[in-house]
Amino acid sequence: MATGILKNVEIKGIACAVPDHIVNNEDYFDVFGEENVRRFIKMTGVKTRHVAFDEQCTSDLCYVAAKSLMKKLNWEPSSIDALILVTQTPDYAIPATACVLQYRLGLSDDCIAFDINLGCSAYVYGLWQAATMISTQNINRVLLLVGDTSNFGINQNDSSTAMIFGDGGTATALEKTEGKDLKYFLKTKGSGYKSIIVPAGHARSRSQIITDSSEYELYMNGADVFSFTITDVPNALNSFMKEYSIDKNEVDMFVFHQANLFILKHLAKKLGIPMEKVPISIDRYGNTSGESIPLTLVDVLGGEQSDDTLKLILCGFGVGLSYGGIYLELKKSACLPMIYTNYYFKGDVSKEREEDK
Amino acid sequence: MTVKEKLNILEELLSIQKDTLDENSLLEDIEEWDSMAVISLIAMFDSLFGKEIKSEEIKRFRTVKDIIDIME
Repeated sequence: MATGILKNVEIKGIACAVPDHIVNNEDYFDVFGEENVRRFIKMTGVKTRHVAFDEQCTSDLCYVAAKSLMKKLNWEPSSIDALILVTQTPDYAIPATACVLQYRLGLSDDCIAFDINLGCSAYVYGLWQAATMISTQNINRVLLLVGDTSNFGINQNDSSTAMIFGDGGTATALEKTEGKDLKYFLKTKGSGYKSIIVPAGHARSRSQIITDSSEYELYMNGADVFSFTITDVPNALNSFMKEYSIDKNEVDMFVFHQANLFILKHLAKKLGIPMEKVPISIDRYGNTSGESIPLTLVDVLGGEQSDDTLKLILCGFGVGLSYGGIYLELKKSACLPMIYTNYYFKGDVSKEREEDK
Repeated sequence: MTVKEKLNILEELLSIQKDTLDENSLLEDIEEWDSMAVISLIAMFDSLFGKEIKSEEIKRFRTVKDIIDIME
């Protein structure tokens, strides 16, 4: 298992923007039947979700979150050394959306910018990447953007995916800080790559003319993903805590990827963690893919004024299959209040800059 | 664990009335046997029997008895 300590790095702030458009799962009674929907809500915990308008992309939500965070921290655009976007719903097939955002956010031409394609484990991998750059390179400030508009490419008649996902974009500011560190573990089980997949639309199918539209939609084998989550994930997390002598009783919160409530409860029980230490956002925001961990932190801590620190374990798991965990300390005051927005990019950066003024 | 006790566990899992499930019932005839029940079944095997069952194995189940036979 890949594990390690990344030194002299700290999270300075986290912001999250979600669409202001709310979908209530009870509105699906007519589509899937009242009893089925009620059972679905009971098991997954998803009552309402924030769903992006067709025009509203992951990049727009991350843009709003990043702007608010830079303003709060008084970070000049020119002071940011790197921009990392972790998403599965980029603006274009090419180029990388991070390049577009580097321009839209007015960051310097000296800024490193790139995308990473991961979902449920996105935040953990993104933090690891950002912290590695700060800890080992001559890099001072990194803006990590993690978001998805997962309702793009969903079959509205498939009950297993139509009612589960929420959309959102987050920004996390990391900075070189003497004496602060984070510990991580990262793992991959690529044998399960078919468990969550959108098969068509990219190079693997370029020689075929695909007329079956379902090939372009998200397929999820819930049973296989569940088995993986309740066996591989707790095993790895327990090994990680043992390796670094992390006493679970001293951890203030275990922030898990918000996959579904049943999974979270089972995972907590298996790890011997009381649910009071496992914050839940899935009931109001749905399964928010890679951004679910920072979204949940913002949901719980957003707007706190106290500079007290919390000891946190963050753990993401899913599509890939990819998983990992981070142990770190976070100031309660690091999270901005949740942002609700209908904003989207209308194709003109100069107008966007005018609107920002 | 007796067969009756095992049936009671499955009845609870499927949210159906106690003492109504028959060993020989075909799973496909049980309305509550769906993707959510499959996940509950995996969780039940994990927490009660410390056993990992795969979705391919579950796909091969035809009757309630097929499940009960491996509940140990």
